[in-house]
Amino acid sequence: MESGNGYEEPVDLRALDYVSSYDDHLMCPICRCPFIRPVRLQCDHVFCQKCLNTAMTTGLEVFTCPTCRAPPQDVFQNVPRILTNMCDEIRVRCPFVSEGCQEIVPRGHVQSHVDKYCGYKPIECPSPLCNKKIRRKDLPSDDRCLHELHVCSLCEAEITEQDYDEHVNELCPYLKMTCPDCLATMFRNALKEHIDVCPEAIHPCAASKYGCPVKIKRAALITHEKQCPLLMMSPYFEAQNSRLESLELKISHLQQRNEIFEEGLAKLQSTLMESPQTNNSSSDASDNQQPRDDRFSYQSNANTYLLSLHESLREEVARMSQAITDLDARASMTIMNECLRIKEDMAHTNAAVGSVRMQVQWLMNPRLHHGQRVASVRASGTGSSEQGSSNAVAPSPGLPSSGTVRARRLSDSGREGTKL
Amino acid sequence: MKEHLPPGIAIAKSENLEEWQMDIQVLDDNPLYRGQTYRLKFTFGSKYPIEPPEVQFIQSAAPDPRPIPIHPHIYSNGIICLDLLSSAGWSPVQTVESVCMSIQSMLTANSRDERPPGDADFVSYNRRRPRDINFFYDDDNV
Repeated sequence: MESGNGYEEPVDLRALDYVSSYDDHLMCPICRCPFIRPVRLQCDHVFCQKCLNTAMTTGLEVFTCPTCRAPPQDVFQNVPRILTNMCDEIRVRCPFVSEGCQEIVPRGHVQSHVDKYCGYKPIECPSPLCNKKIRRKDLPSDDRCLHELHVCSLCEAEITEQDYDEHVNELCPYLKMTCPDCLATMFRNALKEHIDVCPEAIHPCAASKYGCPVKIKRAALITHEKQCPLLMMSPYFEAQNSRLESLELKISHLQQRNEIFEEGLAKLQSTLMESPQTNNSSSDASDNQQPRDDRFSYQSNANTYLLSLHESLREEVARMSQAITDLDARASMTIMNECLRIKEDMAHTNAAVGSVRMQVQWLMNPRLHHGQRVASVRASGTGSSEQGSSNAVAPSPGLPSSGTVRARRLSDSGREGTKL
Repeated sequence: MKEHLPPGIAIAKSENLEEWQMDIQVLDDNPLYRGQTYRLKFTFGSKYPIEPPEVQFIQSAAPDPRPIPIHPHIYSNGIICLDLLSSAGWSPVQTVESVCMSIQSMLTANSRDERPPGDADFVSYNRRRPRDINFFYDDDNV
């Protein structure tokens, strides 16, 4: 890139710390960095020049577009300028952030920043004998080597010349320093502890927050604090403060509750305004605001109670009537069922009675015959009284065979008749 | 490198730039892979992404079981036969994410419950690294 000064090497843009976020489309699909010197293939896919070259040389003999595998084609340098501009606009950290440079510059300017302006860039020590590096801002005007070791006269540490001044003036722990209050001189590392206890340092009284105006030296402060009336009161103040805080908290809670109540009241009032009954009461109590409100709420309470009572009663009535209809339906159903059953039973009984009558008739028939026969036998002669007695018994096994059949048929037909 | 991974893909290990491990799941209801998580090992060479990384399945036991998925192009030692991962099929625009998605879809599309032909022989004799094996991409159905 820019190599005018001989020892300036190009910044590796891929290794930079990209601070601002950038669109994924500005990212080379190969190295996943914002495009660096982008080139374009005929298929309109864009890559960094370096990435595409590596992919081309290391790939197969037939190079296809890495994204769409389109066949070999020309490479164009002319990507839209907006693309390069957007990539160069992305902000990056100076690569010498580890040396202390806090600069954040657009990527397009990082090269010139490093080459010309960054004071933290390590450059070769001007002395030919020394191979160390030195930050550009520390470079002496006379090209001396600043890496020679000097021994600090106070702490005996070995310090390079470039850091020596800073060490001697500020950092050496054995540097003599004066306390700004008591003017005592002491080592730098002891000063910090001294400042906390220095008797000459001027401090405000511990009760300053309660209004004590005293500001005196620490040594005198102890005696003052023993008699300071405000300091003596301080436990009381503390307690009062905490009480006040808790009270404030409570008040804010109460305020919140109050707001909620007021909201509810407003709602109730608006509902009351809508109902026609309250119109009367509002005209009654229009002369006095306070009782009106009370009455409003009372009446609205009574109203709602009555309304709800009414509502529940209505519901109960509805339930009752439904139950009655239910019962009615059930009762008529059972009655109908019973009737049917009874009718059937009666039909059966009728049939049974019919068949019984048939049988009786049939039973009566032989007796009538018998009576006729006896009469005829008696008429013919009385020789066979035994036969007669046997006959009286005999018909039962003898005749039934034909008689039952007849009887059944009769009864069957009788049954059928009743059924039909 | 990536913050928003597609569903079913998660980074399991990415401490250095030489080896990454990814967990992948097959998201549809393919009975061969349902409810399983598989671990892929990516080994990046110095020329990545110009040259393909080495990708294979690795196995681990309970409590975090990671089996080798059954697939006609995945050998039972975890080596995957996928042209995308060969130097011929590789493209430098591929990423870990895109490779994971390709393998995910390769599993999703499979319905055959079998290993590649000659799996036992390959597994017992192969000592080569996956990139040195010359696969024949004889099956374009997957």
